[in-house]
Amino acid sequence: MRFRGEPNVWARRAVLQSLSAVSVSAFTGAALVRIVNTPRTAPPRSEAADLPARTVVFDEMYRGRRVAGYTEQGQDQGASSTAVYIDGRRLHLMRCADGGYLSPIDHYQSYPTELATARAAVAELGSAQLALTPVHGGGTHEGGHDVRP
Amino acid sequence: MYVRKNQRDLTRAERRKYVGAVLELKRRGTYDQFVKTHIDFYTADGDTGLRVAHMGPSFLPWHRRFLLDFESALREVDPSVTVPYWDWTKDNTPASSIWHDDFMGGNGRRGDLQVMTGPFAHVGGSWDITVSVTDGNFLTRDLGRPSQAIGLPTKAQLAWAESDPAYDSAPWNSTSSEGFRNKLEGWGSGSGTDRWRNHNRVHRWVSGLMLGGGSVNDPVFWLHHSFVDSVWSRWQHKHPKAVYLPDSTAPESDAFGSRAVGRDEPMAPWGDSPSSMWDHSAIYRYA
Repeated sequence: MRFRGEPNVWARRAVLQSLSAVSVSAFTGAALVRIVNTPRTAPPRSEAADLPARTVVFDEMYRGRRVAGYTEQGQDQGASSTAVYIDGRRLHLMRCADGGYLSPIDHYQSYPTELATARAAVAELGSAQLALTPVHGGGTHEGGHDVRP
Repeated sequence: MYVRKNQRDLTRAERRKYVGAVLELKRRGTYDQFVKTHIDFYTADGDTGLRVAHMGPSFLPWHRRFLLDFESALREVDPSVTVPYWDWTKDNTPASSIWHDDFMGGNGRRGDLQVMTGPFAHVGGSWDITVSVTDGNFLTRDLGRPSQAIGLPTKAQLAWAESDPAYDSAPWNSTSSEGFRNKLEGWGSGSGTDRWRNHNRVHRWVSGLMLGGGSVNDPVFWLHHSFVDSVWSRWQHKHPKAVYLPDSTAPESDAFGSRAVGRDEPMAPWGDSPSSMWDHSAIYRYA
């Protein structure tokens, strides 16, 4: 979610969070796709070089936008899942009971794959960009929506 | 007790007062709290945890409660205002008066889909989008999606939902094929436009910001949900013995670790249960 009027605060916070995540990953060895692929919050090159290699699930140009998905180590059970980006900004997918996915851009349709969800989001975005700070539904109550393997 | 009216029956003065109250909530920052709440509580049914607002039986009582909160904020600004409803089976074209410049304003323009007319056009200076899933600061719409045309739900589709005597059915999520709730919420399957029914289909028909997590940024959200709530109310009168399902025993988590809300369980963020939202007759009625 984006709160306009204080962009510097949020950008700074994102950088701080990213940097602290770097030091955590140095211990855990977890993949840090978020940082590797997000130019504005990218760590210094020397730190990025220490990160384990990410696995590209898809990376393509679609309607002039870069759509990319990388495997990501899950926070809970160590399960891997795909982190999806459009032009380097995170598209936070939600998993549906029918096996598909929703994106914050299109909340009223389940798409069968992560790539299909990302392409549909690009089509809906038109000339707009995703908000810099990813949207998190379920953030203030029980549960949330961690992506499952 | 107050009355919620069909938006097409509002007088010019009533339209002006409603728009004025909404703009005042926006000016105070209250409006954007409602946008944020809707984003925060959107949990999908393949994710872990309790899902209160969508893809489950508490979709209707959660939005009834959400609407009451909004309406009460509006009535603090102007006690004569209530949330009108948009019967999209009747006012079903971009030419309908709901989209006129003195009310919800018009369609988005070609290209960036920016709404350029009416009180909620960014160019008018009163409607800056501040809590959103994208970085645009203006309201967008793409009524009827000419590039992938879709119509608003028909009377027949709504009647199909209303004729189901059961409130909901297992597995209490977007894949429930029986029950009034999902037939009204509108999760379908397949690849045709039958995927979007009733409530979901209207979000898609308006498109732009109405399609995403920040759908509350389009003030037509409230008129849409007022009508959805009125349909629920009508269904209750038609099926007087029906009760909210699942019952007071909290349903077990499904295979995904996702769980529906039972009849007497609290719904965040208010703590009110679905059963406490069942009867609205002491608070408002629909005209």
